Amino acid sequence: MSLKWTIWFLGCLFIGMQLPAQENMKMIPAGSYKPFIKGTTERIAVEAFMLDKYAVTNADFLAFVKANPSWAPDKVKALFADSGYLSHWPENYLDNKSLESSNEPVVNVSWFAANAYCKWKNKRLPTMHEWEYAALALPKGATDSAALTQINNDWYSRKTPKQAEVGSIYENKYGIWDMYGLVWEWVYDFNSVVSNDDSRNSEDVIEGLFCGSASLNASDASDYVSFIRYSYRGSLKAKYTTRKMGFRCAKSIQ
Amino acid sequence: MKSKTYLAVATLFFALILNSCTTSTERRIIDPSEDVKGQVRAVLTDAPEVPPRITNKSNTKVIVELEIIEKQMRLSDGVDYTFWTFGGKVPGKFIRVRHGDLVEFHLHNHPDNMLPHNIDLHAVTGPGGGAEASLIAPGKSAQFSFRALNPGLYVYHCATAPVGMHIANGMYGLILVEPLEGFTPVDHEFYVMQGEFYTSGGYGDPGHQDFDMQKAFDERPDYVVMNGAVGASSGENAMTVQVGETVRLFMGNGGPNLVSSFHAIGEIFDKVYVEGGSLINHDVQTTLIPAGGAAIIEFTCDVPGTLHLVDHSIFRAFNKGALAQIKVIGDENHNVYTGKEKEEVYLPEGAAIQRISQDKEEETGPIVELSLKERMEAGERLYKSNCMACHMDHGRGITGTFPPLVNSDFLQARTDKGIGIILHGLRGEITVNGTKYNNIMPAVSMSDDKVASILTYIHNEFDNGGGLINAADVKAWREK
Repeated sequence: MSLKWTIWFLGCLFIGMQLPAQENMKMIPAGSYKPFIKGTTERIAVEAFMLDKYAVTNADFLAFVKANPSWAPDKVKALFADSGYLSHWPENYLDNKSLESSNEPVVNVSWFAANAYCKWKNKRLPTMHEWEYAALALPKGATDSAALTQINNDWYSRKTPKQAEVGSIYENKYGIWDMYGLVWEWVYDFNSVVSNDDSRNSEDVIEGLFCGSASLNASDASDYVSFIRYSYRGSLKAKYTTRKMGFRCAKSIQ
Repeated sequence: MKSKTYLAVATLFFALILNSCTTSTERRIIDPSEDVKGQVRAVLTDAPEVPPRITNKSNTKVIVELEIIEKQMRLSDGVDYTFWTFGGKVPGKFIRVRHGDLVEFHLHNHPDNMLPHNIDLHAVTGPGGGAEASLIAPGKSAQFSFRALNPGLYVYHCATAPVGMHIANGMYGLILVEPLEGFTPVDHEFYVMQGEFYTSGGYGDPGHQDFDMQKAFDERPDYVVMNGAVGASSGENAMTVQVGETVRLFMGNGGPNLVSSFHAIGEIFDKVYVEGGSLINHDVQTTLIPAGGAAIIEFTCDVPGTLHLVDHSIFRAFNKGALAQIKVIGDENHNVYTGKEKEEVYLPEGAAIQRISQDKEEETGPIVELSLKERMEAGERLYKSNCMACHMDHGRGITGTFPPLVNSDFLQARTDKGIGIILHGLRGEITVNGTKYNNIMPAVSMSDDKVASILTYIHNEFDNGGGLINAADVKAWREK
């Protein structure tokens, strides 16, 4: 029994070493940014970290579910994912060729599931500051942020209603793909800015968002796309799953 | 005698008490602890339809189910937009409840939607008008209840950040809290709501248009529309009534920015519930409807024709789409309006030939004849100040309206060289160089000397055979 576990453990290590995890990650250099949050006038420092080049795909997540059956759609605890969890997967997901090769980002995953996936990969979810900081990078070849606004606009107005594949929207200057325009993405501390309705200080929800609104002016018209992301996070609970929300993982640099 | 006085005083007192009772019951305060009897599902309608009148006489629990749907629809011919809607259309579903009802509100955010949403109903007494209780991610539902404490017509809208963007994309509608006594019956009730759209392209630019945040900041919409799209309630989509029928309009303004100068071209509002509240104004031409506000408007359609419901900030109506129509069908009523009785040419001078008076001091003096050069100089000056307004520079005239003076066969054929025309005027049909003219030239009261100069100028400058016309020639014709 213990031998079997040992072999399994070593096997996992071996597979882990074989996985081109680092290749599929890019380093985001240290820096700072001015986040779009009420009352924040100071720039937030962000340490250098590694970030997945692509959002996690259905194929990636299928491998995770196979290795961790407790995260299977029919076995997951209701506490950790709502009824929409992986609801876009077919019944026979364990033996489905198109899912195995799907380059579409996985959606309908809860924060708990995304967090578990990253842990399994010996990674973690990026913090909100890390995510926002990395997402500020312009597309390769672009010279101003209008390019990012346009990508967001196209996405919100759903010119392409079909779910796009990872690596199809744009690559930014750090070599990270599709930070905007593909799916919403979970971050580790998604509920740190706006509290959810478990909290008593629900006025902060309104205040945070409305004062943020007041800070918008003609000089930063493009900020409303960040505004939308913050309000999106504010509507979530960790067990929620939605059809347009996936994730990618990050890793600290030792 | 004395007892009669007592009686009169007592009657007066009684009348006063009765009167004060009547006024105090006009405005009923709802006690939220009052019982609620029975339960109904609210009937929801798309504009311009309005749900049926409420017949329940007691406080009822009303269940409202409203689904948020993001979808591409037509904004104008050949123009698409991704609207965010309460119920699949812009404006959102009309909700009708009764004063004192308990409303159990269920808001559903369709799983295919991109964004979180919520709802702020101005009819709600409570934080955010329900907004904070209803923020929901795609694929979620929220429920909250409220008591309809105040009667009136109220706007509801999405209040999720960025609020302006959610409203600008079409997230607004109306909820009517019908007063206990109900409204007087009318033949038709209609739902119309104004709102503006800020598109990446200009008005009419074809294809799918994105939302333009900069234009929204600047309050510079390309579209201002009634019921969610250009022509949504006009032309073949117009509302229709019969002559003599009464209409109640539930008119809202979603904004997000503009205040509407709401007006019906061809109708006077008999009654306006100002701002959708309890204050009633009568005989109104144009009523102001603020962004996030509403009005209840009543009128009778007395004559046939098309009523244009417009924002009388009028460029919005004719250049940005803010127009809806009510077609009134039936027989003419000439006691109210005759239609066009006749049409005729309007001549500011009147039908008879008028005289344009000039100073007369020269006429009394002796005739002083001038050289051709002097006549030409004076003639040019006089032509410009007296003739050019109609006959144009260089005597070109305006084809069909004012005859030309250049090489004019009509002028050259006249033995008076045109003197009679200036002295006496001319009216009726003439043909000049092959074109017919039927107009009036007034007689010009001008000295013989001046007439001579003008005509000398016209005959020489405009290629009519030249020659010198003397004041004596004019005098001779005048005396004929």
